[in-house]
Amino acid sequence: MSLSRSPSPLPHGGWATPGLTSGRSSPTKRNYGDINGNGNTVSWASAKAKSDEVNGYPSFSTRSNNFFGRHVRKLSHSLPRFNLGRRKDFAEKEKLGRGRWSSAGPGGRLRNMATLAGNIVRRMRLRFLLLIGFILAVIVFYVSPLQYMWRRTSFLGGGSKFVVILASNQGGGVMEWKGPREWAIERDSVKNKKRYTQRWGYGLDIVDMTTKKRYAHEWRESWEKVDTIRNAFRKFPKAEWFWWLDLNTFIMEPSYSLQSHIFNQLSKNTYRDINHYNPLNISHPFTQFYLDDVSRSPVGDGNPESIDLIIPQDCAGFNLGSFFIRRSEWTDRLLDIWWDPVAYEQRHMEWEHKEQDALEYLYASHPWIRSHVAFIAQRKINSFPTGACDENGEDPHIHYREEDRDFNVNMAGCEWGRDCWGEMYSFRQLSNRLNRNLWEKFKDAISDKWGELWNGPGRQKG
Amino acid sequence: MQFALPPTSRKPSHAQNYTSSFSSRSPARRRRLQLIAILACGAFVVFMLFSRIFSSSPGRPPSGTSEVVLVTVIDDHGFSKEHIEQIKQNRRDYAERHGYTTFLPARADYNLKGAPGGWACVPAMRHALTAFPHSKFFFFLGQNSLIMNPALSLHSHITSSERLESIILRDKPVVPPDSVIKTFAHQNGDDVDLILTQDEEGLGYRSFILRQGEWSRFFLDTWFDPLFRSYNFQKGEAHALEHIVQWHPTILTKLALVPQRILNSYNAVPHGDEENGKFQEGDFIIRFPKCDSGRIPECEKIMNPYLPQKAEEQ
Repeated sequence: MSLSRSPSPLPHGGWATPGLTSGRSSPTKRNYGDINGNGNTVSWASAKAKSDEVNGYPSFSTRSNNFFGRHVRKLSHSLPRFNLGRRKDFAEKEKLGRGRWSSAGPGGRLRNMATLAGNIVRRMRLRFLLLIGFILAVIVFYVSPLQYMWRRTSFLGGGSKFVVILASNQGGGVMEWKGPREWAIERDSVKNKKRYTQRWGYGLDIVDMTTKKRYAHEWRESWEKVDTIRNAFRKFPKAEWFWWLDLNTFIMEPSYSLQSHIFNQLSKNTYRDINHYNPLNISHPFTQFYLDDVSRSPVGDGNPESIDLIIPQDCAGFNLGSFFIRRSEWTDRLLDIWWDPVAYEQRHMEWEHKEQDALEYLYASHPWIRSHVAFIAQRKINSFPTGACDENGEDPHIHYREEDRDFNVNMAGCEWGRDCWGEMYSFRQLSNRLNRNLWEKFKDAISDKWGELWNGPGRQKG
Repeated sequence: MQFALPPTSRKPSHAQNYTSSFSSRSPARRRRLQLIAILACGAFVVFMLFSRIFSSSPGRPPSGTSEVVLVTVIDDHGFSKEHIEQIKQNRRDYAERHGYTTFLPARADYNLKGAPGGWACVPAMRHALTAFPHSKFFFFLGQNSLIMNPALSLHSHITSSERLESIILRDKPVVPPDSVIKTFAHQNGDDVDLILTQDEEGLGYRSFILRQGEWSRFFLDTWFDPLFRSYNFQKGEAHALEHIVQWHPTILTKLALVPQRILNSYNAVPHGDEENGKFQEGDFIIRFPKCDSGRIPECEKIMNPYLPQKAEEQ
């Protein structure tokens, strides 16, 4: 019989290749020096005898004859060795054996416990393996970057179809001096979106909206949404839906995926007929007799496939602080038409919200726009804090409510006389509190109880 | 020796045994299986055929739909009845000859909200797109033009892909004489949705061809933007057209410029570019630009020599 490689000896005298072992004593007698063809006279048996001298192992174990015994012994070789300080005198003399658990020495509690644990593990081997496998799977799929990868794939998670565009540094640069609060807002908001997109495998495009002299003719200053969206289209060529978010937004419920929250049931979550909620009083649909049926229908063609733009409306009309736009031919046309020099020249004094007002105008006057626009209930993607749109008090269609666990908060207009950082901070804390895991809830409950005990029931922490 | 694979002699012998015993055991059964397989294939083919036929039926135009619709907006203000009738007849004759449809709405049909009357061509085209959803091409011809060579079919003369590719003007300033925006250097005939001409002063917007489709509705709506209508463009809809063509690449990509005399020859050219602009015998269309500026009695007189001649021919 020939061998493809030299057999490896095991310390207890067994052989890795079972066919070679006739009896346990046989390897000691055989000489394999000639097999390797090196003519070396150092036989394995003599080397083993030497090493037995050194590490003090008996070459034949009398104790671990059964299968498990052998393997547990093997395991213990690779375990860390503790110098328990019992055999100092011995260790000085024999350096290689220093601190080794002595099989011959008195058992010790540690060793007994280890044996006990080993026995339990051995007895429940299958279940134990399953448990370890499960924990490993959880780590691999939910904690490691692999989660990001599989949620991105088109057939498992579909996350690569979505991209979040975050407009940072708005008006920064020349117009305003950024203080520590502005930096803190920026940091929190960016971190929030980074975490969210990481979690679901979406793309994230953080864009710098610094006011710059970007155009030769100077007119278009800070009408940059269009170019930003176009750049994002280019940067993420495989993505389909792009979610625009202003900086002053906070995703309160990172556990909602865009798919389950909106896109799996697009027709249920959106409405095409603006008469459903029409703060601008746009007359809808068009009634001109020369228009086609789709343009004159209040719901376009009624097919969710034809939706290319999803916008929420607040108390004053369209709100582009948080909206979805889809890559399509229609969108290319919209991005092209959105800014027009003739319209701009006539209206730029009126259109103080720039793209938002221009879009309202286009929606009101162009039939081809309407058949591809859908609206979404504001609180689905763009809840307001109580400070915004509050002329008529709190409105269940507009303002954030904790008990409904709204998805995203937009602190719209907080830069006009409200405290952006304060709002951002309180929403961040609220989101953290609402999304605690079980362990954190447990800890908090304990500390609350503790506080109650010491400070009396009247002084709970807020 | 150790083998990476088991010896090959064993496995095939088993497999052969199995199949041979199966097939040799029941030849009748084998024949039946063949029959079933053939029937299944046949059924599948028939199913595919039918599904093809039925799924494509909504896309196919119903019978009797003409490929081309000829659109002229009639503004009879100041013209004699006979003159208007002759103009209409000129369109009808041509359409009849090639199996096209005419669409001749009155200007008063469209409420332009105070914009100049020339704007009516835009909603009229939108109307035609709506009224004939299965027709492919829509040929707008201004009222003060006449079809002089009715033998030319629109398909072979202009709209077929090969013909169009041979006559497209590429890399040419869109608005004469020196716009910085130029037409594309490479353009496919099938990608063209709007066919236009230039004269010496601008785009020849009084005769153009549109292809049915979403893009055309977008184009017409954009052209008809209320802010363009209220803006004091010197030449109204013509300048609005020149504006959108130059500022919006999504419109420019679908535009094809063709030589003027293909569908827009003039009876007189103001600046003397006779070679490219003036009507010659055999040209498809003749246009009388003076009539558009409103000198109507004079206009009828100029057009008359062309009209009766046409009437006699038919």
